[in-house]
Amino acid sequence: MLTCGLLLAGFVSSVFFDITTRILGRPWLWLQEVTSIQFIYCVFLGAAVSVRRNDHLLLTAIADSLSGFKRSLIETVNRMVILFVAICMCYFGGVNFLQGFGSFRMPSMTPIAFWYLAIPLSGVLIVVFVVEQLINGLKNGYEPLPHAEDLQTDQPQDLIAETPR
Amino acid sequence: MSSAWILISMTALFLFFGYSGVPVAFALMGGVLIGTMFTPISLPSIVGQMFNGIDSEALMAIPFFLLVGELMTSSKIILRIVKLSQALVGHFKGGLAQVLTIFSMFFSGMSGSVSADVAVLTKTMAEPMKEEGYSPPFIASLIAGASTIAALVPPSIMAVVYGAIGNVSIAGLFLGGVVPGFMIGIGLMIYSYLFGPTGIRRPRSTFSQLSTATREAFLAILIPVIILGGVLTGWFTPTEAGVVAVVYILLVVFPLLNPAHLRRLPHDFVQAGVVFSLPVITIAAASAFGWMLAYLRGPMVVSAWITGFAGSDPHTIMFLLVALFVIVGDFIEPIPAIVIFMPIVTVLTDTGNISGVHMGVVLIITLAFGLITPPYGLALLMASKFLNVRFSSALKASLPIYLIFFATIASAIYIPNVVLWLPKKIFPESVGCFKAPEGNSYICPDS
Repeated sequence: MLTCGLLLAGFVSSVFFDITTRILGRPWLWLQEVTSIQFIYCVFLGAAVSVRRNDHLLLTAIADSLSGFKRSLIETVNRMVILFVAICMCYFGGVNFLQGFGSFRMPSMTPIAFWYLAIPLSGVLIVVFVVEQLINGLKNGYEPLPHAEDLQTDQPQDLIAETPR
Repeated sequence: MSSAWILISMTALFLFFGYSGVPVAFALMGGVLIGTMFTPISLPSIVGQMFNGIDSEALMAIPFFLLVGELMTSSKIILRIVKLSQALVGHFKGGLAQVLTIFSMFFSGMSGSVSADVAVLTKTMAEPMKEEGYSPPFIASLIAGASTIAALVPPSIMAVVYGAIGNVSIAGLFLGGVVPGFMIGIGLMIYSYLFGPTGIRRPRSTFSQLSTATREAFLAILIPVIILGGVLTGWFTPTEAGVVAVVYILLVVFPLLNPAHLRRLPHDFVQAGVVFSLPVITIAAASAFGWMLAYLRGPMVVSAWITGFAGSDPHTIMFLLVALFVIVGDFIEPIPAIVIFMPIVTVLTDTGNISGVHMGVVLIITLAFGLITPPYGLALLMASKFLNVRFSSALKASLPIYLIFFATIASAIYIPNVVLWLPKKIFPESVGCFKAPEGNSYICPDS
């Protein structure tokens, strides 16, 4: 999570410097590459972190209507689907990474492989987090699913008290 | 296996996974990866499509606009806008319902995110409204309806995604959404006035109270002006405008209005850094899905059906696309829907010789409407969950609001100037107008 925050702060700064240097008439073109790589890593690492925090957007209508063994079964199957996608991201993303050394980003001529690396890296983290959830879930039962409607619930609660009447 | 069967299987798998509780991005990728195994397409190229789908400068605007919303909410500076809304319309019948709608219109101009709007409106307005006797289903429906304005007015994240994926002017979409956004806002205010509870009638604010509220909120309400002004003057791209707004908040708004909040900045950045990845990773997965859909000639089949019925009549094409998007929007989130269906929309926009901005705004209103319709009306689901009311009760209370959307969508389709008037006046190039050889006037294509 901290890495995501740092990457976001990083690409806020790099876009800001990009604008500033352009307005000053001395644009640093490589800043666009710095921004782009931070953005890509932030997205894929954020997606992995969100798997661990169960922050992803979910629809829980079917799972919510089940209980006991059936509930455990569907939750296990759901995580197997995520695991399947994550393994594909690791393996096929890894293939893209290796092939990416033959293509380059202008103007710095950095191999595009460094951008592609975000996908298998995210895949590895997702595999670890999902396996952790599967082991914990099969041992102790799954935590209740967060609902789609639970997103963004960490807004300041005390706003209510300060609302003008 | 034939293309049609692969297409049907992919879609069925996505919906099954999605409704079973697999996160939307993984449900999309699960469907598309399994579908790809039955085609000659290599799996690395499908995984690579996730990268290609988000490797776009325009999409970087999403985290910046979400960060603006997070900073303004977390620092509680938005309460100044609530006070301004109160001073403007608090004395009307159904005062707090009117305040809620006006506040939503202001806040939408900062975050561009419907879900952020629902969360903030609920936290700020729901409890006081309950205490004044508004029924929770009415509050939930009004919050859900008002939050959809964020999808229309600048800096709408849906407009950013539509513009980036469909190669349509984002500035044009921003401007084109303003009038329909106001129509929905004003429709909600009229609805609250005529059919909502009376609430507690307050005295009209004095001029001095109004000017104090305006002065206190002035720095905050400059944010939409900075974003839109920067884009329209050509100084910044929408992405850069988002960054300038963030820097403005950090260097001007916080030091002057809430310096103590600077200590909480790391928390805000971490929060926004994780939250923004959710829509963007969904775009990544949806673009892989959309790419496969295009490979299987899905857009050609659907657009052939629509043109077979509508010919090249722009109004009928738009009407049928709206019908398709009403159905799609009931089951899929707006952002993946835009990405997946963009190839179809592009073909039909060309066939009907329709302005990209006009088509984009009409479809964005339709998808915003999908946020308050069952079974997957995300805004209404969130609002009813936050207010702890049954979804069915909130849905029943929302039915009159549907009429406002029908009227707005119909006006936007059949009276193109509802969408195109403002872009033509302020930024004519965004809707394909060009300067006349002599004089300062513009020549615009018929729409």
